[in-house]
Amino acid sequence: MLASWKQLIFQILLLLISCRHINTTSPDPTPPPLVPIDSLPRDVRRAAFKGEGQIEKVELLNPVNLELVCTWTGHQNKESNITGFWRKDGLEIENSHLTVQLENEQYQLQQVFNIVSEENLGNYSCVFESEVKIDFVVAVPQIGEIRDKPVVTYVGDSGVITCKMEDSKPMPNTWKWYKANGTDKEEIFAAAEPQRYEIKNNERKTKLLVNNLTMADSGLYYCGAVYTLSTSMGHVELKVITYYEPLKPFMAIVAEVFILVTAILLFERSRSKKNDTEGDMMSDQTNTLSPGENNGLEGSSSMRQRKT
Amino acid sequence: MEERHTCTDKSVLDMTNPKPKAESQSDEAEDPDGGWGWVLVGALFVSTSLVFGLMRSLGIFFVEFVQYFDESAHAISWISSTGLAAQQFFSPLGAALCNAYNARVVVMTGGLLAGLGLILASQATRLYHLYLTMGVISGLGWGLVFTPMVATVMAHFTRRRTLALGLAFSSIGLSSFAFNPLFQLLVEKYAWRGALLILGGLSLNIVPCGALIRPRRRSKAPAKVDSETGSSPVSVLRRISSYLELSLLSERPYVTYTLGITLLNVGYFVPYFHLVAHSRHAGFSEYQSAFVMSAAGASDILGRIVSGWFSDLGHFRLIHLLSAWTTLAGVFIMLLPLSSLSGSYSALMVISLLYGFCSGALTSVVFVVVPLIVGVERMMGALGLLQLIESGAGLLGTPLSGFLKDVTGNYVASFIVAGSFLILGTLTMATLPHYFSCTDPPPPPQRSSLDDKHNGLHSELEHMTSSPSSDTNHRV
Repeated sequence: MLASWKQLIFQILLLLISCRHINTTSPDPTPPPLVPIDSLPRDVRRAAFKGEGQIEKVELLNPVNLELVCTWTGHQNKESNITGFWRKDGLEIENSHLTVQLENEQYQLQQVFNIVSEENLGNYSCVFESEVKIDFVVAVPQIGEIRDKPVVTYVGDSGVITCKMEDSKPMPNTWKWYKANGTDKEEIFAAAEPQRYEIKNNERKTKLLVNNLTMADSGLYYCGAVYTLSTSMGHVELKVITYYEPLKPFMAIVAEVFILVTAILLFERSRSKKNDTEGDMMSDQTNTLSPGENNGLEGSSSMRQRKT
Repeated sequence: MEERHTCTDKSVLDMTNPKPKAESQSDEAEDPDGGWGWVLVGALFVSTSLVFGLMRSLGIFFVEFVQYFDESAHAISWISSTGLAAQQFFSPLGAALCNAYNARVVVMTGGLLAGLGLILASQATRLYHLYLTMGVISGLGWGLVFTPMVATVMAHFTRRRTLALGLAFSSIGLSSFAFNPLFQLLVEKYAWRGALLILGGLSLNIVPCGALIRPRRRSKAPAKVDSETGSSPVSVLRRISSYLELSLLSERPYVTYTLGITLLNVGYFVPYFHLVAHSRHAGFSEYQSAFVMSAAGASDILGRIVSGWFSDLGHFRLIHLLSAWTTLAGVFIMLLPLSSLSGSYSALMVISLLYGFCSGALTSVVFVVVPLIVGVERMMGALGLLQLIESGAGLLGTPLSGFLKDVTGNYVASFIVAGSFLILGTLTMATLPHYFSCTDPPPPPQRSSLDDKHNGLHSELEHMTSSPSSDTNHRV
């Protein structure tokens, strides 16, 4: 009886200590949900070594127990035991060194990782003998359909930026928009400034409408597809220009047209003056051409006066 | 009957020699086949590219419009449909104004309107603004430009008409090759608003093209004005109908020809709209399908120029050449789905190239046959009416082919029906009078009433330019 009481007190103490331990070692602002590790679903991903620089993509939405399995058929002379270990984002994971046995003509490394929050996402690599490596990029679905060229709009006009998550990828829970401010991102709350910003969310698509643009609105905008684990970001550049930009080439073209028309009409006038000396036939034409200021509009009115 | 065997007798060419000398005595008359005519071909080249080449490349803007205005692609596609319809609808108006006034004025005004439409479109805030500006205003401008310029160029040539038109119309294909990347660049740099503004400026280049048209003393205008004095409604209406050449609608040859061309138009545009989709349907990749279309476009350009050059060599009558090209184009359109059924990409490519060549070849000849039927004098109005009437066919053809595709599930039926419309057009044209003879028929009698010495000289020269003995026999 006393033994069982001691066991109970010991377990309670252990629980308290481990609880405190949890609280002090996770200082991030959004602490991961304190779910017991065992209740997470298990996701198994396998990969067999094919060649150098092999990268496997793992798309996750929700917290899972991710089991990664690497297999390798080995060299010509297969040794019975080799070492293998795991890396995360290039850094060796502690205590991950294992000795791998040769089974069924291949070596197999497997490890379970708890992917519960954003920090757990990254590049996991399994390494055999420090030479054979398979990378697993564990991330939330990336936004594929996004405009790589800048969106050009005008001052005073309204601009539209869209982000779309492809049909082949899972839908995000919601969308968020950010504006780049130096190196930081500031979230855009449409509700706070309804005249300026409007966010239209459709499960797979999101649109940011910016009204009454000013030059200050130029810059990078980020759309975030929010999943439970993390937010997937895509960025689009918005360029705001004034009407003077296209006006410059436009005026150049109008000037060119004007010059051409003037030149053509002048040339014709000089030709008909030359022919004037040859015969009377041209006299009618010259009379009507002389009042013509060599502008297309006025030239047309002088033509209209001439009734043959 | 013996004429058939001597169809290629070229001795009659000698008769054409005195003509240029006589005409050069009068500075007023056009120099046939040379000098200023080629300058006008250049002007037609530029203006056609700014009208049709531009229209064909507007697709780049549609993606932007869909995003900006939040409308369906179908609603946006109505912009170019409206533009094309307006261009064809206002063609008789352009022709009538040229008859009443002066081709130069009309074309310059048309250029201004076309540019203005696009400039106003750059300020659009609603979709219907685009219909009104890019569709109606620019379409009106284009209508005032195209038919008058084509008729003017044709009036400046007799023996090289088809080549002149072929060279000028090759601009459509060439400019759509150039405009697609250019428009893409403009949209990326200035967004659609700035790009439309710059396009409006570019369209204003039609104005100098119109300025190149030398104003001529037209023997027609005084004839009409003199005979119809007074401004009573009846005489005004009569004048308007003579400017519009409405009397042509009662003449069998013209109506037959117009009907033939209308039938041709029903099927003509189908491959443009459906070839890419059909290639994808047949299992080829996006890149391969687009390449088929580009290849057809390139052979189209080649076909226009080669057909123009060949027709003017004079070995065959123009109407026979037109029938040949139309029939061939119809046959190749029908072969298109059958070639891809076998799954062979090279077969599809070859047939598409041949189709492109033939469809380009026939466009060079279509307009040149008109003065042979109605005479050079009435050519302007005839072309205007032709454009208007054939526009209905274009509107019918594409929805019909789409409907057939929806009903049958693939494009085989659409293409076969389209090809058969072209062959129907040829058969209709075969009912033209004098179709089966080796020589061109005499043109209809000239209009009367030219008392003035100069006008008399002019009409005599015009008669010489269009009479069968001097210019058409050698084409026989």
